[in-house]
Amino acid sequence: MLMKINVKVNGKDYTSEVTPMMSLAAYLREVLLLTGTHIGCDTSSCGACTIKMDGKAVKSCTILAVQADGSDITTIEGLSQNGKMHPLQSSFKENHGLQCGFCTPGMIMTAENLLSENPHPTEEEIRHGLEGNFCRCTGYHNIVKSIQHAAESN
Amino acid sequence: MIIKGKYPIVASTEDVWDHLMNPEVLSRITPGISELQPLGGDKYLAISKIKIGPVSGSFEGELELKDMKINTHATIVINQKSKIGNVSAEIKMQLNTIDDITEIEYNGEAKLTGKLAMMGQRIIGGVVSTLSKQFFKTLNDEMNITKS
Amino acid sequence: MSNYIGQSIKRREDDRFITGKGKYTDDIVLPKMTHLAFVRSPYAHAKINSIDTKAALAHPGVVAVYTGEDCGNFGVPCGWQVNFKNGDTMKEPTHPLLAVGKAKHVGENVVAIIAETLQDARDAAELVEVDYEELPAVTNPNAAIQPGAPQVHDDIPNNVVFDFALGNPKEEVDAAIDGANHVTKLDFKNQRLAPNAIEPRSYIADYDVTVDKYTLYTSTQNPHLIRLLMCAFVLGLPEHKVRVISHDVGGGFGSKIYHYTEEALVTWASKQIGRPIKWTSDRSEAFLTDAHGRDYVTTAEMGFDNNGKIVAFRVHSDANLGAYLSTFSTACPTYLHATLAQGCYTTPLINIDVTATFTNTNPVDAYRGAGRPEMTYMIEHLMDTAALEMKIDPVELRKINFIPAFDGVNQPGYQTQVALQYDSGDYHATLDRALEMVGYDQFRKDQEEARKNGKLLGIGFSTYIEACGIAPSAVVGSLGARAGLYESAHVRVQPTGSVSVFTGSHSHGQGHETSYAQFVADTLGIPMENVDIIHGDTNEVAFGMGTYGSRSLAVGGSAIMKSLDKILEKGAKIAAHKLEAAVEDLEYAEGKWTVKGTDKSIAFGDVSLTAYVPHDYPEGLEPGLDFSSFYDPANFTYPFGTHIAIVEIDKDTGKVTLKRFIACDDVGNVINPMIVEGQIHGGVAQGVGQALLEGVDYDENGQMITGSFMDYAMPRADDFPFFETDRKVTPCPHNPLGVKGAGEAGAIGSTPAVANAVMDAISHLGIKDIQMPITSERVWKAMNS
Repeated sequence: MLMKINVKVNGKDYTSEVTPMMSLAAYLREVLLLTGTHIGCDTSSCGACTIKMDGKAVKSCTILAVQADGSDITTIEGLSQNGKMHPLQSSFKENHGLQCGFCTPGMIMTAENLLSENPHPTEEEIRHGLEGNFCRCTGYHNIVKSIQHAAESN
Repeated sequence: MIIKGKYPIVASTEDVWDHLMNPEVLSRITPGISELQPLGGDKYLAISKIKIGPVSGSFEGELELKDMKINTHATIVINQKSKIGNVSAEIKMQLNTIDDITEIEYNGEAKLTGKLAMMGQRIIGGVVSTLSKQFFKTLNDEMNITKS
Repeated sequence: MSNYIGQSIKRREDDRFITGKGKYTDDIVLPKMTHLAFVRSPYAHAKINSIDTKAALAHPGVVAVYTGEDCGNFGVPCGWQVNFKNGDTMKEPTHPLLAVGKAKHVGENVVAIIAETLQDARDAAELVEVDYEELPAVTNPNAAIQPGAPQVHDDIPNNVVFDFALGNPKEEVDAAIDGANHVTKLDFKNQRLAPNAIEPRSYIADYDVTVDKYTLYTSTQNPHLIRLLMCAFVLGLPEHKVRVISHDVGGGFGSKIYHYTEEALVTWASKQIGRPIKWTSDRSEAFLTDAHGRDYVTTAEMGFDNNGKIVAFRVHSDANLGAYLSTFSTACPTYLHATLAQGCYTTPLINIDVTATFTNTNPVDAYRGAGRPEMTYMIEHLMDTAALEMKIDPVELRKINFIPAFDGVNQPGYQTQVALQYDSGDYHATLDRALEMVGYDQFRKDQEEARKNGKLLGIGFSTYIEACGIAPSAVVGSLGARAGLYESAHVRVQPTGSVSVFTGSHSHGQGHETSYAQFVADTLGIPMENVDIIHGDTNEVAFGMGTYGSRSLAVGGSAIMKSLDKILEKGAKIAAHKLEAAVEDLEYAEGKWTVKGTDKSIAFGDVSLTAYVPHDYPEGLEPGLDFSSFYDPANFTYPFGTHIAIVEIDKDTGKVTLKRFIACDDVGNVINPMIVEGQIHGGVAQGVGQALLEGVDYDENGQMITGSFMDYAMPRADDFPFFETDRKVTPCPHNPLGVKGAGEAGAIGSTPAVANAVMDAISHLGIKDIQMPITSERVWKAMNS
């Protein structure tokens, strides 16, 4: 059985037919071919699949595509505007906030949400805010630095 | 995983025994069990639905009663299969008469496999203890309602 | 013009990662691609009586279903042979692509289902009926070798893979321990760890019948090695018919070195069905089947004389290799482990004895550090424990025992008691700098003050050394490696002077595209933008051994340097011809050849154009400017350093908080300090993870009870402070860049520093030792027993 959904992703409207079992992460990756959203676990623990849905950071692996019907979604691919990188994107590069890059899209989307709620977080608030995102490469050191740096340039 | 405990029921040992050996009562009071179909002898087909923390599943398999001595003791052997893993358990039940109370003493071991073992095992001890208490409490309530 | 070496150049690969345009294997979609799902054993040890696949085959969308019977002759090999002490070859059972007859660990592949969609494959997998007969299982390496223990492989008695010893004669070491003034003895459990790269393993195989060729896209750290192992030792395919591609790989840490059964299976099956097949692990499968790390049970003793000098070091370990031998598994508890028993100390007598065992658990192999963290943890934890026991300051005890500084040029390398010869080192230098950074004297005062106020503060040291840049083929060959460990590099100067570098090493987070371009651009005196680094495709790169053992720059970088030398040598001949001068009269700098003492010069780009348009060209010289090289190093490299941890322990809950972490490392010359620091940070985090958080546990039936991110404690951002890092530089004397390697240092050095800090905080309460991971529960129990 297929169900029809309408979503806006990175400013573009899509109408798709999906199975009721399909996760939003799978929909973004397999149907819209937006493969910047990654899947790193099956228990919504790692945060690699974090996107913004209706203004809130959510883990797209534990939301069904059908639940996203009618919503406005931003993925890592939609973060830069008019060919200009989002300050967090440039800050991650500037501060070596990534190594293998797999957790990075989710990390940046979570950081974007964090800074939109708290534009000038303390180090502790940043570390706490990243609790739901795993990185195995960086020891988080330069990720925290990247977010601090982006916050300072706000 | 060791499953062990005691629970006092305010009823005679004979009454408790009769209830415990009645599949219709058992399927009603055992948490999660939706059906207990006799397969002949002391074997039953048990169908249950259980949710433990992040793991939930429908189980199907055999439940057998053995080493039975009326009003005294019995051993329940459970072999349940599901898509999230299998459970096999052997639990010995002993009925002790203490004045007008019957104490059910149970002691056994359960083995888990699959997702159930991977993701549920750390919290399952607590869950089993809760489910056991729920079972005996319902049994107690059931018997006292039946009596009155 | 260019001076890139030593600068923290921002990474060029980042542009694609931060915009979501990385190309990981699972991102690839091929036309007509099918999906594969596995039925895996729910039992640690079970006889497979029968498998009924009828219902699965009838499920909509199912293309094919395979069991062990269908591909029973194929098995993945082990890449390193270790012999028994008596010379017998190690026990090496077949590791089938799908279980045959018996399943030997939870998660072992039993049935493969290929369908149009992943959902179809997974649904059909649930319809497969396997009749298992559960058998008793064994999971502990020590229990596995006891008489009467369950037999993992019916034909391998007592589950022993091999026994092994290295060092001085046992009697001499025993006598020295017996005669020592003080002996510190500890039991260790280097617990099993799950590597948990955030990208799960993913494979796509695509057999093209029109040309009879295979393409395998795989998340691997070494595409050529996978091709070699799979073609020559598993499927019997000619290598020129197989292309292996690994584009972006989301972290490896060792777990993506090995050739896995799933890789060979998708490749084989793709030909059977004539269509591409994708398999991507989910996290549960990753926990169950990605090769784990560590898992040794050890007793180790260190004997000291009355001046605190180490007189002998004796170790016995039981190493758990799991149910089958993974690619480098056998090297880990032996040649990557026992050879590190010298540490940075002058210990005159050393004996290491290891028994490797099979158990009903997932295979164990190299995980960041591989054998070296386990040894370093033992040595360094013994040092701090001995210091406490002998009431000597742990810093003082180290200084008494350090090998004196040697540069490997004016002073010879240091010959250890355990086969290796260290290249160069100055162990006092990193320790002194780290002490300065931490403010040691002040800390001891603060600690005393804190204790008066009821707070538990502790400091722990680790002065580690490691062997990396893994390396000399002749040496590793004599130690049992079944492959050489050189590296290849192909440098192609394009006609207009831009440069394509093809390297056999592989980047999965290390930033080679940037750091390699830095030293290539510097060596050629051209802008970095003119240099491109290509890796991860067997059709583009001639050959390679891949990336692990902190070897990329030391071995792979050196191979590139060799090719660059050849290019400059040939370029000079062309330049000399064009400038009408002798080669000896030319000098090369800033991208041009100049006739010494004149202003006559020719630019690199003009020479390369001449090489490809050889109208006016030296007689007898071949056209083109394009060289391949293979570099086989003379020795391993030996980075070292000092790590210091400061922890605070909550008296009420036992929670250990890492307050500060100081690392002063010496990894030789550094091309890109930013990248090196990043490597140290990541390594430290994994090392701290082992000390405080992580551990794979199996229950007594062999069920993994830590099989998800909810059950396995991964380090999170709020488990750490900012790390304080600095470096000393003792160049490697035997490679052209003078580099040693930085990938594993953090993971090797940090674990004992943290464990030592915990003991420093609480040993005055009468607590002797706490096994890792040092969780709140364990600390609380120790404090309250």
